[in-house]
Amino acid sequence: MSAAPDEPGATVRIPLTQLQRGQRAIVHCADIADLPEGDRCLLHAMGMHHECQIRVCSPGTPCIVQIDSTRLGISADVARRILVTPIDDAGAAR
Amino acid sequence: MTAAGGDERPAGARMPRIAVLGNPNTGKTTLFNRLCGVRARTANFPGSTVEGRVGTHRAPSGAAELELMDLPGTYSLSIDVPESQVCRDSLRGALDGRAPDAMLVVVDATNLRRNLQFAAQALAHRLPAVVALNMWDAAKARTPSVDPAELARRLGCPVVPVSGRTGEGMPALDVALDTVTTLPFGNDALVARLQKLPAADASPAALATWADGVARAVAGPPPESAGDALVDRIDVALTHPFLGIAVFAVTMAALFSAIFMVASVPMDLIDLLFGSAAEAVRARLPEGILAELVADGIVAGIGGVLVFLPQICLLFFLLSLLEDSGYLARAAFAVDRVMRRFGLAGPSFVPLLSSHACALPGIMSTRLVRDDRERLATILVAPFMSCSARLPVYVLLIGILSVGRPAWFAGAAFVGCYALGASAGLLTALLARRTILRGPGRALVLELPPYRVPSLRNAFLTTWDRASVFVRNAGTTILAISVVMWWLSAFPRAAGGDGRTQQASSFAGQLGEAVQPAFAPLGFDSQLTVGVLTSFLAREVFVSTMGVLAGAGTDADPGDDSVLERVASMPRADGTLVFDEPTTAAALVFFVLAMQCLPTLAVTRRETGSWKWPAIQLGWMTAVAYAAALATHAAVAALNGAP
Repeated sequence: MSAAPDEPGATVRIPLTQLQRGQRAIVHCADIADLPEGDRCLLHAMGMHHECQIRVCSPGTPCIVQIDSTRLGISADVARRILVTPIDDAGAAR
Repeated sequence: MTAAGGDERPAGARMPRIAVLGNPNTGKTTLFNRLCGVRARTANFPGSTVEGRVGTHRAPSGAAELELMDLPGTYSLSIDVPESQVCRDSLRGALDGRAPDAMLVVVDATNLRRNLQFAAQALAHRLPAVVALNMWDAAKARTPSVDPAELARRLGCPVVPVSGRTGEGMPALDVALDTVTTLPFGNDALVARLQKLPAADASPAALATWADGVARAVAGPPPESAGDALVDRIDVALTHPFLGIAVFAVTMAALFSAIFMVASVPMDLIDLLFGSAAEAVRARLPEGILAELVADGIVAGIGGVLVFLPQICLLFFLLSLLEDSGYLARAAFAVDRVMRRFGLAGPSFVPLLSSHACALPGIMSTRLVRDDRERLATILVAPFMSCSARLPVYVLLIGILSVGRPAWFAGAAFVGCYALGASAGLLTALLARRTILRGPGRALVLELPPYRVPSLRNAFLTTWDRASVFVRNAGTTILAISVVMWWLSAFPRAAGGDGRTQQASSFAGQLGEAVQPAFAPLGFDSQLTVGVLTSFLAREVFVSTMGVLAGAGTDADPGDDSVLERVASMPRADGTLVFDEPTTAAALVFFVLAMQCLPTLAVTRRETGSWKWPAIQLGWMTAVAYAAALATHAAVAALNGAP
């Protein structure tokens, strides 16, 4: 499911479940399109929209992430389908 | 719009109605409780199992009373979930034919970007509005804080910073609510507001971009989401697949032990009080039907309702504290994986566990389950859990079965009864979710609210609310059923007979005789069949009925050896024992699995808004109980070498 960059400047996309505790990442909304419509809309409404920044509070399946001041618990099924780009402490994509 | 306020409102004019909306976990209900106090009641919205609350608010300044409608918290007004549908229907007046006169949109000031997306959707409706910037006590401590005046300018409506928990800002909110329902709201005001908001059909991405812009303008750039290592560690522990479940099990065990221990005292007192009241009625009224109706029908019926109150109050008080503390969401998250295997959701665990004390509060607490199908499945199977009312029946029947057996047998039989009930419930849930409640469950994406000290005020108001619901709705039904059951047992009158003769000649006794052939394959004779039928009111009635039939009196104690011996040695018409081994085992299995509880059916009716679900519950549980009892009778008879 992870996508290796083919071109210089392309960013790595990995499933949310592969992030470590405390790691930050940018969410790619387009990559959760295979979720049922209702679940996708709910995720959007809960704050997980395109290019939002998340922080992993509890890694694995299921996992807990923080968006702004909100903590979301996400089941394994959903978390595996969310692709993210890890970012370093300075906010740059890796 | 209702354009009257204060004393100027014409006599007979309706109270202005204000819809209270917001995301979940914004402190909306705390704010509603602050505004309405005990002048609120829970209401099921028509055509939905979603609950809301309706209350009245009168500002201390003496302004006109307002009707506040606390709509269910939802993350968006455009998603396909029941809470969102109820909010949409309410705003366009489709719930009860009356649209609100204004809106109170509750926004969490510490989480502006997400909350503003919802606010924009709400404010797109043609209604005057006030935005309550809740959790202001926490937001103003942050740097930079939120600028309420700038936010009001950008939203095109009044914005009032408040704290539902501390009461800060409430006088200003009173004024804003009074003003919004009295000043005219014309097209110009609406057009001016709509020009500031994203289009009504804006995409989630457009809404998010707009909300981000407004949040930056009124509160500066979003703070780097500060990691709290301690909270992270607590979350990891409480949601761990093993440790999290273990912590939850211990918490729930402590909760229910507390309920059993603490509730037993007021329950005994209520029992004593109504027993004395019935005696007093018999002493004061001339002997006859009227005295029996009042003492055994009405007083016993009211006592039978109120005796459940201590358990219900304690359960909801403690659950409210747990929910408010932020723990319950973590616990639901931890057990979700296990419950999913049976088609249920993590939050289903609490109602099922509390049903081991009593199915009534268990079913009432299914409001924790947000998905409709999962909630109905939980309600459907909750009565399979072995409640405390089954205990006297287990004591009696296991006592009979244990005669001449090793000491461990009784303990193992008790454990077996509890395990059988729980297994039947979970398998029924799985079956229901694959047939009549087929459909995807709601994917688990759960907001985990911050840990905080729970509000005692909220817990008391929640408890008051749930107790009122129980007494008002279920109580009246249960009382009516009690009187009918008394009538069936008391008529027609047996001339000069004792309790046994009266039982046999009553309508209930005649019914027992009539349906006995259906129970004959289980080994039940007419006496045992009467016991099963009369215990339909409440399972524990079985013990007193068998006591009467065995000549041991109506106040039979199942733990009393002489009662056990009398019941165990009851003869059939042909002289053989009623409680032979296969029949006793079959009766035990029948009581573990059967829906022998009319109050539970009344509460299921109330919680689902339809008689369909109690009918399914009754039909399915009776069929399962009958089939299992039949198989048990055959198996035990075969083991004993019976023909």
